[in-house]
Amino acid sequence: MDVTVLDRQQATYPLELFASSVPLFQSYLGSGPIVELKRPEAYLGGDGFHEFVYFPVGGGPEFGDSEKLNLVPPDAAPGYCISRTSSCQMTAFHAASMKEEREDMILEKMESTTGSGSRESFTKRKAEVVADHKSKDKRIKGEVEGESEVKTKCSTQVSRNSSKENSKACEVQKPDYIHVRARRGQATDSHSLAERARREKISKKMKCLQDLVPGCNKVTGKAGMLDEIINYVQSLQRQVGFLSMKIAALNSSVEFNVENLPIKEFPAYVANFPAAAKLPAMPNLTCFQLNPMQKEAVNCMLNETIHPPLTATEGIASASVSIPEQALSSSTITLQPFSTWNMDPQGLYNVYDMGFH
Amino acid sequence: MKSSKVIHSTTFTTKYVSYLVPALTNIGSLLASYDVDEETKKMVRYEVDMALALSAKGFAWSRALKHKLRLNYNDDDRVGDGHGEPVTKKPKTEHEEEERMMCLRKLIPGGKEMMADDEMLLSELGSYVSCLELQVNILRSMLQNN
Repeated sequence: MDVTVLDRQQATYPLELFASSVPLFQSYLGSGPIVELKRPEAYLGGDGFHEFVYFPVGGGPEFGDSEKLNLVPPDAAPGYCISRTSSCQMTAFHAASMKEEREDMILEKMESTTGSGSRESFTKRKAEVVADHKSKDKRIKGEVEGESEVKTKCSTQVSRNSSKENSKACEVQKPDYIHVRARRGQATDSHSLAERARREKISKKMKCLQDLVPGCNKVTGKAGMLDEIINYVQSLQRQVGFLSMKIAALNSSVEFNVENLPIKEFPAYVANFPAAAKLPAMPNLTCFQLNPMQKEAVNCMLNETIHPPLTATEGIASASVSIPEQALSSSTITLQPFSTWNMDPQGLYNVYDMGFH
Repeated sequence: MKSSKVIHSTTFTTKYVSYLVPALTNIGSLLASYDVDEETKKMVRYEVDMALALSAKGFAWSRALKHKLRLNYNDDDRVGDGHGEPVTKKPKTEHEEEERMMCLRKLIPGGKEMMADDEMLLSELGSYVSCLELQVNILRSMLQNN
């Protein structure tokens, strides 16, 4: 898993320090100016904590072995498990990198405070800053790389515990494609931020799934929803199996009556939404000459579909769902004008005609 | 690779039906006897699944499904239902969502390859569920109107 600069930089913060600073973070994260970031410094004194923002291990050249030990709280939350490994490797040149890290941190905090609105610019800026850092200080890279795997392993645990680090209290939209190596010696904030952003993405997708899967609304909680989804998927798969068996049973004796296939009945809904929930009113397609009996059958079929059908295409248009980018794009209603159906289904009809009589 | 990730029901249905019906016809003509045997069921199930995989291109699960179908078909080995899902995956203890995510991974084709990416899993689930629904509707309507 990719980690941001700040993820790494936060890798080695003593839990106590972080805990004590949590309220401070909360207070100033909500505000804009970077200047405020410095406030906690005074609070904590210059006792090696002067670079509060970065939770420096001990601040500059004062690092010593004892400091290293202090870095790792014995009962660190999994979110800090990385610090266990990486802190041991803290060396003097971390002090040198602190300054650069500070800039990263500031950028990160700015990002948090200003919200996702200016995410793009921050993304670029951060990338630039990081690029600078990378070029400036390649020494750290070697160590940092060694940590990336550790980070990956811990990430799942971290995600569970990131809620404890809700000190961020801000809706950070982590840029998706800024993958940078984080430096050590930064606050665990950014790590938590990344996790938090990830969790937000996941919950966004869960919401979309909630719309797809019937009955999810009544369930609260991620686990319950996942249960519902699991049940639903299993039920759908079972249905497919059952129906295909029935088809197999009929196959030899039946010519599939394809004239009134769903093509016409589901003319304008996108599967983003509950599949059958947006069935429009049955169009009277003269080109297909549905006889009344077929229409009846189709209507029955419609009624039996999984979701109660809607009857207004307008309903479809207005029901916009925010879809996870990867799966579906939002606001894509394609209303197929009837004229186009003449081509397509007609072509299909011909295909069927070859098989049937 | 981000192909169009919108599932248009019309497109899907058209593709699905246009693949499946001729395939079923083929099966019907291939089989001499009118007995419904395991072979027929397998073949029908294969076509049903393949139609799904082909009608919803651009998703990880459809690729995985296609791949799995071809493998299984070549091996001439019946994998339950083509999806290879253990149909009864009920043991969901009160353990947290990780277990359930694992469950979901087993349910969706290609889910095991999404071990590291929960987000992707959820995204794929969205499209998979939609396509399953469409598939069920199509199959039902095919049966009802006969």
